Amino acid sequence: MIENRPWLTFASHATLLLGIGLVALPVWMALVASTHPASAFGVGHIPLWFGDAGAETWGTVLFEEAGNGVDTPVWFMMLNSLIMALGITFGKIVISLLSAYAIVFFRFPCRNLCFWIIFMTLMLPVEVRIVPTYEVVANLDLLNSYTGLTLPLIASATATFLFRQCFLSIPGELVEAARIDGAGPWRFFFDILLPLSRTNIAALFVILFIYGWNQYLWPLLITTDDAYYTLVMSIKRMLSVTDGDIAWNQIMATTLLAMLPPVAVVIGMQKLFVKGLVDSEK
Amino acid sequence: MTDVILEKVGKTYPNGYQAIPSVDLSIEEGEFIVLVGPSGCGKSTLLRMVAGLESISTGELRIRGERMNEKEPAERDIAMVFQNYALYPHMSVYDNMAYGLKNRGIAKNLIEEKVSDVAKMLGLTELLQRKPRQLSGGQRQRVAMGRAMVRDPKVFLFDEPLSNLDAKLRVQMRVEIRQLQRKLGTTTLYVTHDQVEAMTLADRLVVLNKGKAEQIGTPMDLYNKPATPFVAAFIGSPSMNLIDATLTEQGVKISEALTLPLSHQHRGDIVWGIRPEHLEVSDEQNGDFALRIQAVESLGAETLIHGKIETESANGESMVVRLSGPHLPDVNSLMWLTAPMSHWHLFDAKTQQRL
Amino acid sequence: MTVTFPQKGLPWLLLLPQLLVTAIFFLWPAEQALEQAFYQEDAFGLSREFIGLENFIDLFTDPLYYQSMLTTLVFSFSVAIVGMSLALFLAVMADRVIRGKLAYQTLLIWPYAVAPVLAGVLWWILFDPSMGPIALWLKSAGVDWNHYLDGNQAMILVVIASTWKQISYNFLFFLAGLQAVPRSLIEAAAIDGASPFKRFWTIVFPLLSPTTFFLLVVNLVYAFFETFGVIDATTKGGPGQSTTTLVYKVFDDGFVGLDLGGSAAQSVVLMAIVGLMTVIQFRFIERKVQYS
Ligand SMILES: Nc1ncnc2c1ncn2[C@@H]1O[C@H](COP(=O)(O)OP(=O)(O)O)[C@@H](O)[C@H]1O
Ligand SMILES: [Mg+2]
Repeated sequence: MIENRPWLTFASHATLLLGIGLVALPVWMALVASTHPASAFGVGHIPLWFGDAGAETWGTVLFEEAGNGVDTPVWFMMLNSLIMALGITFGKIVISLLSAYAIVFFRFPCRNLCFWIIFMTLMLPVEVRIVPTYEVVANLDLLNSYTGLTLPLIASATATFLFRQCFLSIPGELVEAARIDGAGPWRFFFDILLPLSRTNIAALFVILFIYGWNQYLWPLLITTDDAYYTLVMSIKRMLSVTDGDIAWNQIMATTLLAMLPPVAVVIGMQKLFVKGLVDSEK
Repeated sequence: MTDVILEKVGKTYPNGYQAIPSVDLSIEEGEFIVLVGPSGCGKSTLLRMVAGLESISTGELRIRGERMNEKEPAERDIAMVFQNYALYPHMSVYDNMAYGLKNRGIAKNLIEEKVSDVAKMLGLTELLQRKPRQLSGGQRQRVAMGRAMVRDPKVFLFDEPLSNLDAKLRVQMRVEIRQLQRKLGTTTLYVTHDQVEAMTLADRLVVLNKGKAEQIGTPMDLYNKPATPFVAAFIGSPSMNLIDATLTEQGVKISEALTLPLSHQHRGDIVWGIRPEHLEVSDEQNGDFALRIQAVESLGAETLIHGKIETESANGESMVVRLSGPHLPDVNSLMWLTAPMSHWHLFDAKTQQRL
Repeated sequence: MTVTFPQKGLPWLLLLPQLLVTAIFFLWPAEQALEQAFYQEDAFGLSREFIGLENFIDLFTDPLYYQSMLTTLVFSFSVAIVGMSLALFLAVMADRVIRGKLAYQTLLIWPYAVAPVLAGVLWWILFDPSMGPIALWLKSAGVDWNHYLDGNQAMILVVIASTWKQISYNFLFFLAGLQAVPRSLIEAAAIDGASPFKRFWTIVFPLLSPTTFFLLVVNLVYAFFETFGVIDATTKGGPGQSTTTLVYKVFDDGFVGLDLGGSAAQSVVLMAIVGLMTVIQFRFIERKVQYS
């Protein structure tokens, strides 16, 4: 600090704490709500302090059924979410690594064209082309399948650009040394390129995992069979129950469970997360 | 036995730039050849064509009689040491040295043996488990050499391997490289822009200028009989004094007032040269010309005197004189010099060839 | 990069997965949207008829579409401006403190990981007119909160929920931007006698302008395309059309209203908008590359 003004430092801390409190407020409310029985919610009334039905609610939604018209337990939907999130994450990382590798380390006709085709995917987020994409997936008979959940989402210009950037920063001499050492393209890819891109891959993994886990509209459209329900989209189905019968405690518990994994990833891998965010905006 | 032959080897880059018009060179087995020249003259290009990292546009490269133009770098049985070492940052020193052997499918115990032999030779045994970033510059340099040596290749290629080291370490490594090469007897092609490095290391030197080999020869050949003014200026420090002159019946006419007597059948514009260390201090009676002193650099063991040849007209030619031991002449005073004819170098101004 | 591998077929093999996915799930649907935009199809997809630009003409003569555009603009700029102001404020505070910077960062960035639809649900319960604590508190303070009936209140709710999620992102980038401001400049200004407040507005804020511009674009893109879940969970575009953004409308007209031609025409317009935004973003990136 340039000058020492204790009251300013104090004000800074106070503001930050206030900000953190405001940001955490909805989660606090949800946590409290999930510890009361469904009957505690009513017109003009919502509990503001913890009740004693927490264990029961959480146990029910986790292991029996999420309720509100969704008969599957949360753990099962979590599994689906995990499959989808990991499928999208691995898929994106693998195909982006491969295509960035092709674009940076090989010369072939139409290289620029390929680059532009990949770039175009930036301009076509799924929300924008939702109806025709649904039709394409329906035509391919991929509704209600893990393939349908993941495959349409795994083309990623961002990841390809990120890896391209990362590969371009690898000194040319390293590639030459590897060639003199007798490493062909695959050996180079696995022995040199992948280990050198480790942190980038990990950082991207964090970002993509969050992206995959939080998919909402797409699974909502293409899954009608509850064997493929993912946790985030099930909330929507739980909310479509007629107003009066909503079991708020269960919805809140499910909501908290649905946000727990990605939030844990962000907090647990904060460094990688920040790196991933900053990198993918370059 | 001739080991490496470059026959009319030329390089034109895809963008149309002709970096090397045509170079002929044959290297004997065990010879230490240094490619030297100013930055951008095409040294790396030539070396990389030998390595197989750049395609050869024209001509042919043969190693031990076998045409190499179409061969992959790994098939040429060469090893290269890069300027920035190009060590694999995620591998230990051991793995860096072993990588090329592993890729060739050599048995594990044999690899271990070779790596530990080379490590011993280079004093790297203690460092085998470290990562490159935990090493000093000199140690990295050694690992890069070790990586080249374990493979026991036919040819070593070096691209300015010492230019990232500080001056003292550079001298030390220079000596070490020369000793190792002698001991191993491996044919070596070494690129540098530093003429001192070139002179001290080379069996033979190739002086490159704008992609052309100006002269190929032993360091003493090049010092004593430079083929062109470019080589004359490039080899030796401080550079040879080179002065535009005219060869007439009377001799070398440097200016209206100054002609150094010489009988030579050539006539016309020439470049006259003499090395700073070959000029001798004299007096008004015996001297060939006088120098108006402009600056004196005392280095202890020797003294460099910068000045201009004194003439009636305003601007005489600049000259440097190198005297051994300390001297302290006054700036602006006159110093009479003789230029012994046996040390003259004459070049045709038009063809730039030695007369 | 001059060093490449000489193989000719391999790069195609490497590119194949990405090109296939792109062709099947991006280019084909985009082409379909383009095609559908020129046809009228009945709700069961049994027959269709080429109608030229009629879908587009309908779209651009439909007052609801303009209303949706306006809604989108109001919504997006509100989210961007509110979110960025709050985040900048917090970032400035966090940049000031010496102890606990990382802890504050940790406690502020996690909402990034919350799915938009969950953010919507969380805020909805706080604002639920009949039992939400904030709604009840507002009522006791004399504000009649009912976002089911009042379009403006519905808008405020979706803005709050969307902003909440995005604060973490803005905060991170502002904090990084602040930390990149050279200390020497601030010290020079302090020696010149500028107060902390003045220093911020005359030195720090101008230096942050690349970050600010970048965040503005990112926030607009976010509000445009990634807030579907928030709206779907809280207001479903209502009441009336008051929170129907363009992206929500594509979905609503296509899947709920089953107006496939109209929805396709909207998709085409949206693609054009994304294209434009991408170009702007790209320009910015180019500039950033030049300067760094
Ligand atoms: N890939 C390339 N494309 C076009 N020109 C090149 C390329 N690489 C080097 N050059 C040019 O060729 C000339 C020789 O380069 P180089 O062999 O690297 O010189 P140096 O003697 O300094 O090692 C330089 O003028 C350089 O600009
Ligand atoms: Mg070079």
